[in-house]
Amino acid sequence: MTDNPNDKPSTKRPWVFIQGQQAFQFDAQQHDSLLEAMEAHKVPVHFECRSGYCGACRTTTLDGDVNYQHQPIAFIRKGEILPCCCQPTTDITLVQD
Amino acid sequence: MKYTTFSREQNDALKEPMFFGNPVNVSRYDQQKYPIFEQLIEKQLSFFWRPEEVDVSKDRIDYQSLPAHEQHIFISNLKYQTLLDSIQGRSPNVALLPLVSIPELETWIETWAFSETIHSRSYTHIIRNIVKDPSEIFDDIVLNEEILKRAEDISGYYDELIDATRQYQEFGEGEHTLPSGETITVSLRALKRKLYMCVMSVNVLEAIRFYVSFACSFAFAERELMEGNAKIIRLIARDEALHLTSTQHMINIMASGEDDPEMAEIAIECHQDAIEVFRFAAEQEKAWASYLFKDGSMIGLNEAILSQYVEYITNVRMQAIGLPKIFETSENPIPWINTWLASDSVQVAPQEVEVSSYLVGQIDNSVDVDDLSDFSL
Repeated sequence: MTDNPNDKPSTKRPWVFIQGQQAFQFDAQQHDSLLEAMEAHKVPVHFECRSGYCGACRTTTLDGDVNYQHQPIAFIRKGEILPCCCQPTTDITLVQD
Repeated sequence: MKYTTFSREQNDALKEPMFFGNPVNVSRYDQQKYPIFEQLIEKQLSFFWRPEEVDVSKDRIDYQSLPAHEQHIFISNLKYQTLLDSIQGRSPNVALLPLVSIPELETWIETWAFSETIHSRSYTHIIRNIVKDPSEIFDDIVLNEEILKRAEDISGYYDELIDATRQYQEFGEGEHTLPSGETITVSLRALKRKLYMCVMSVNVLEAIRFYVSFACSFAFAERELMEGNAKIIRLIARDEALHLTSTQHMINIMASGEDDPEMAEIAIECHQDAIEVFRFAAEQEKAWASYLFKDGSMIGLNEAILSQYVEYITNVRMQAIGLPKIFETSENPIPWINTWLASDSVQVAPQEVEVSSYLVGQIDNSVDVDDLSDFSL
């Protein structure tokens, strides 16, 4: 395994970029969800239900893929994710408003 | 045009729009045009709870020890919540059911309104416990000027839609002269517009107004006061999150045009009106905050903080449905509220009177042979 952020596809600990800045590596061993990891790395993020049905943590992505542990019920558009109930499967770039 | 409780039209429900197609005939859920409404129904059913499960007896002692201005905050907030759920327990059924055309949405609306009636019943449960004569509280809801101001705004959109639907069903499209001599113009497009704005106003109610009231309920519980009430409000908040999600889905489906192209045009036409509905409600909620704290603040919450929360939550909810945010605020001034709104932070001890994370009727039916591989005889 490598820490090189350019090494995209099969990284087991995908990099999370925020506003183009390399922020942290997601480690599924430590965090159940992207939201938990964002909080642990002090990335500001809204949340309410933490279970995929309120939509408060809705975040826009520029690239990257995520896997949902449970299919979320909250409304999400193409390119948006709900960090509370997903894990990144590739390097991912988040946009903050 | 006339509503029928069982349409004989041999239609394909998968081709019907959400609203203004053929009335729903067979309630079938084996196929869905929008599976999200079926998922919402299942989630709502799994959330089922009864007010009596929550022990609120300690709240009576807490309430009596509150200073007068805090009693005013608590009771006024409860009256407002009672008003909101009184409206929501009936209005989605009365206003939306005659217009709906797909079974999963029809059943979602009924399930939604039913859950609001549970909320109404829980306010009676709370009020009965803290005061000798509940009538003093309930009777004031239709007298209190501050509450009536919001009631008028909230029920106004529903009432206009209901009246316009009645005219459409009775007369059909076109110009009509009523026996009174008054001339009215009925058009389906105008009716669709009323529906769109009504759903928008309901979204504001579910997504902003309720949350302002939750903030007050949880502010007491943060000080370990009125905790029975907070347990109930936490269950209500969990339901409301689903309701606001459902109205967001409806609005977004309408605006996408995939369902009814005319609705997408209406969504564009109503863009500014929608923003104004949010702005007006936010200002009204801030005025409410000023009324709540007129005789003094409470620890952890005052008029300025609650107003800032109104602005924060308004921005979040507007962006959710693709509207621009209208306030500068981007920070949640009361981050502790999220702990109360999070469904997975509910620590459940066996001795607790209610178990809010317990999912009734959630059974895993997909058992694979491999799941049993560890067993040996």
